[in-house]
Amino acid sequence: MPPSNLMKTSLSSAFRTKYTRHDRRSATEALIELENVALRFVSYHDKQYSIKRAVLNLLLQREEPKPVSEFWALQGVNLRIGLGERVGILGHNGAGKSTLLRLMARIYPPTHGSLEIRGIVAPLIEMGAGFNPELSGRDNIFLNGALLGFNRREMNERLEGIWAFTGLEEFADMPLKYYSSGMYVRLAFAIATEVEPEILLIDESLGVGDASFVDKAKTRLKRVMEKSNAVVIVSHDMDSLRELCTRGIWMDHGRVVDDGPIDRIVDEYIEKVRNAG
Amino acid sequence: MNTRTNSTPPHAEFFPPATPPPRRSVPWVRLRNDLLELGRVWPVIHNMVSQELRVRYQRSFLGFLWSLLNPILMMITMTAVFSKILGRNEPAYALYLFSGLVPWLFLSGSLTDAAYCIIQNEGLIRKIYIPKLVFPVSRILFNLVNFLLTLLALFVLLVPLGAKFSLAMLFLPVSIALFTVFVLGLGIGLAVLNTFYRDCGHLVGVFLQAWYFMTPILYSTRDLETIPLFVKLNPAYPFIAQFQAIIRYGQMPSGSMIFASFVLAFVCLGVGYAAFKSHEDKLVFRL
Repeated sequence: MPPSNLMKTSLSSAFRTKYTRHDRRSATEALIELENVALRFVSYHDKQYSIKRAVLNLLLQREEPKPVSEFWALQGVNLRIGLGERVGILGHNGAGKSTLLRLMARIYPPTHGSLEIRGIVAPLIEMGAGFNPELSGRDNIFLNGALLGFNRREMNERLEGIWAFTGLEEFADMPLKYYSSGMYVRLAFAIATEVEPEILLIDESLGVGDASFVDKAKTRLKRVMEKSNAVVIVSHDMDSLRELCTRGIWMDHGRVVDDGPIDRIVDEYIEKVRNAG
Repeated sequence: MNTRTNSTPPHAEFFPPATPPPRRSVPWVRLRNDLLELGRVWPVIHNMVSQELRVRYQRSFLGFLWSLLNPILMMITMTAVFSKILGRNEPAYALYLFSGLVPWLFLSGSLTDAAYCIIQNEGLIRKIYIPKLVFPVSRILFNLVNFLLTLLALFVLLVPLGAKFSLAMLFLPVSIALFTVFVLGLGIGLAVLNTFYRDCGHLVGVFLQAWYFMTPILYSTRDLETIPLFVKLNPAYPFIAQFQAIIRYGQMPSGSMIFASFVLAFVCLGVGYAAFKSHEDKLVFRL
């Protein structure tokens, strides 16, 4: 049996036994599946969407006025990300990369199309999202774990690993508001990586902390990526994308422009940027 | 333009054909899934409620005792005001007042909190996926805990106020449960309404004030010759009257009262829940 095949079967069986919630789904199904997904942002900034306006519209039989500004952050996105894929998303600023990641994290619901996510998602999109500054470090670990779908017992088992990575055990009972930003980031990163999520979403979060932390984080991230079933990274750092990913997705103006092996995509992207510049 | 828009995913050939999109499931399946999801995030709700309680009393010398002491002091003050200044020198009136006021404060506190719960948690909602129902539910649970503590305080004062414990009080948990369902329904409805129409928040205070006076809390229907229409149609009346009957008069609330509150509570929860669920997805865009 070829080694790649072997790995796949062991991974899929682990996937099946570990999470009974998805027991009826076969592991060959895509973990992330976007079908013709579009996302529209509507801004009502100038005119408040107020009760007065709603009542007036109703009374005067007016048409719902056109929103001040709307734009399609994503359009016609078709993606299937399967077991064991490491996907890097690249594109210039405002291309919809982060929006796509947030969509996968189920923060934004798609305006059109269907989105299916199978498994526990750990978003490393914003460091420390879901932290409560009033609570102690330890309590925040439990809170964050709960937000990711892990109960107290499951988080208790992971406590050791989190302290080991962060070295923050002596501050466990200190409220988070007294943590330095570095400590904050370390804790957030440690939690998101310690839970061994099935799907890991990362948004440029490697660029934080001091050099030694970045190195440590990269090593840890690689280990977690090996264990998790799918990884999606948004980054402008082409070298780390090449290093970490197997598949690249090039986004432009909310659309997927190209999708393929990471090296080809990165090369083409660099070429394009150079030509444009 | 060299933008190749792909109608088919480039990796299509490597994957089995896409599964059909999930069919619109039947309501009770969706309801069950919602409840399961809410059960999964129960630790989050628990955490929010306990944290709120902790923050409220941390660093004060008496700590948690304040939640009991505060209502007791408030009630003593009010009894003093009513008996000495207004000349209503009857502990029974104080008892009547509190038996209606305590549940009312739960209602008004919950609704005021619920109206702003989504807006206040904007940071969380925009950063992480979380079932939005968590926010109104945790706000109402927090108020429920306070309500129960205040009720406990009221029981401490029961004897000094000249009341007797009665068998009817065994029905109190049912009344509390029905009232909580009613408040929950209103609260989740209001949470979504105020996120879409921010004006509601301003109206809630005024509306609650008017509603308060239309509910027999300061006055009793037993003193009136006829029950006015606004009391009859008042949805809070069956609930408040239950508490008054049990605590003040030591009587079981009438069957029709219980039935009315039961229907009201669950209709309210149903409507609130439907309103919330149908708009839950759009909430993040309105923050």
